[in-house]
Amino acid sequence: MKVETIRALWKRPTRKSVSLSKLLLATYILLALVAPIIAPQNPHDPLQIYAWEASSPPLAMGGGGYTYLLGTDGLGRDIVSTILYGLRISLVVSITSTAIAALIGVAAGVSAAYFGKWVDVVIMRIVDLQLSLPTILVALIAIVTLGPGIDRIILAIIIVQWAVYARIARGVALSEISKSYLDAARLQRLPTRRVIFRHLLPNSIAPAITLVPIELGHAVALEATLSFLGLGVPIDKPSLGSTVASGFQYLLTGQYWISLFPGLALFGLIASINFVGEDVRRLLDPRNRSI
Amino acid sequence: MSIITTVGGRLSQAFLLLLVMSLIGFVGIHSVGNPVYNIVNIETATTEDIRRATIALGLDQPLWQQYLLFLKNVVTGNFGTSYIYHLPAFDLVMSKLPATFELASIAMLIAAPTGIMLGLLAGRRHGSSVDRNVLKASVSALSIPSFWLSMMLIMLGAVILGWFPSGGRGATVSLFSREWSFLTLDGLRHLTLPALALAVPNIALIARLARSGTIEMESQDFTRFCRAKGLSSRRILFRHTLPNISVPIVTIVGMQFGGMLAFAVVVETIFAWPGVGKLLIDSIQLLDRPVLMATLTFVSVAFVGLNAIVDLFYAVLDPRVRLSA
Repeated sequence: MKVETIRALWKRPTRKSVSLSKLLLATYILLALVAPIIAPQNPHDPLQIYAWEASSPPLAMGGGGYTYLLGTDGLGRDIVSTILYGLRISLVVSITSTAIAALIGVAAGVSAAYFGKWVDVVIMRIVDLQLSLPTILVALIAIVTLGPGIDRIILAIIIVQWAVYARIARGVALSEISKSYLDAARLQRLPTRRVIFRHLLPNSIAPAITLVPIELGHAVALEATLSFLGLGVPIDKPSLGSTVASGFQYLLTGQYWISLFPGLALFGLIASINFVGEDVRRLLDPRNRSI
Repeated sequence: MSIITTVGGRLSQAFLLLLVMSLIGFVGIHSVGNPVYNIVNIETATTEDIRRATIALGLDQPLWQQYLLFLKNVVTGNFGTSYIYHLPAFDLVMSKLPATFELASIAMLIAAPTGIMLGLLAGRRHGSSVDRNVLKASVSALSIPSFWLSMMLIMLGAVILGWFPSGGRGATVSLFSREWSFLTLDGLRHLTLPALALAVPNIALIARLARSGTIEMESQDFTRFCRAKGLSSRRILFRHTLPNISVPIVTIVGMQFGGMLAFAVVVETIFAWPGVGKLLIDSIQLLDRPVLMATLTFVSVAFVGLNAIVDLFYAVLDPRVRLSA
């Protein structure tokens, strides 16, 4: 679980499906980055949307001088553009929240292991409490308390996810603390901060990193679900999840494209993250390497 | 003696967790919005009406007093009266429970056998094309957002094929003074799509678990002895491998069953299935605080309780646990 193993990830290409998922993920990230350049329409700009062209079928000719390749949604937004912009929101929300959750979680876990006593008890009880409840429930309570909005949804996902990292980091840190290099560091009378950040943390972080891709997939799904339930991102800046949600009322009358295509994009995104995550997990878990 | 202290310790810990949960939930829920505006008619209500409604709901009291009152009432089994339906909140949750319970049960009845079969088949020939495909399919299935899966099932099963209704519970039959859908043909037709939507991710989860368990068992001595003895591979799989991998499977089935009571939120909302999950979302949107608190408490207790039952079940399934206890 050392740094070398993580490095090996990038050098060791395994099966074909894996490189396919990596390619797909890279494409998603690239599309999200260049979305404003390649999207025919800015779905966040009301001036570029023609309300009378609402729920046009795929391949309909639009008033903006371009074809609606995948049709328009119930407000007249081009589905292709909505997917591209929604992808940005989904990725920003999930990457930000996963990164912060990992940092907070690892810091909390390592502190619990290092300081022990009541710090340990308090942190780990909260972790136990959270992990004993279904994530969607914790997320719902958090988002109801925090209110809607992109920043709130990031916060809610952080609240949901930090506990997993804390539990893993604590376990690793506990075994690291008993090793002699840490005794040496402490015997040199290094400041506590230095012992934790320069010695303990770097050696306890690897197992938590293996979780990141898996949790990233969860974060995308969670954001989409909360947005779907109308508790997530605001309607004028739709994420992939809220676009799928907005198509629900049109589904029964056969206007399938509003939900189908953004949902497919969302599914592909989560699947590519999960396949990459699966590979990371397999490579870094020695027990699974043979399997 | 040690068992009693362990159980007691676990119970008191669980109780404390629930108490903390209720406090956080209560403060959180009471810090959002003002439910009075959902009760009075906004257009015609005077300030006096709003004031009177606030007093009638007890919302003029300080928050800590409201919480103490809530706790006091909960001890006597009273979660208050729904702001919207004017029914006791706990009874409301209980009246929605059969719908969620039968949905989750049928979903699990589909998921557990299918998942176990797939897992056994994949694990038996580790590395074969069956194995690789099952693994890929399970990762993909776990990646499908459940709300999108539900909508696509509606599109396929209800709109395009027209075989199943798109929502609602259909005809019900009364049994044990509760209404059940699974006893009527119409009810079963209504159950099919939502149950499938709930089952798919669980099939994947159970299949993965059964697969890795089977792979582990395949390399064990007892499996090799069975093979040397000349037992058929089917008998080895079902009589020797399956019992040995059952503990983690029962765990995940129990946990997922509890999770379904909560996760059904999404599926129930889409299929307009009148269960606990839909009640939860409705009460969030309508700021129906008593119902919200009652639902959250119920789901948390059910989840914690199910985990405890799963722990007890270990002892039944695994003689080693029984002996060490």
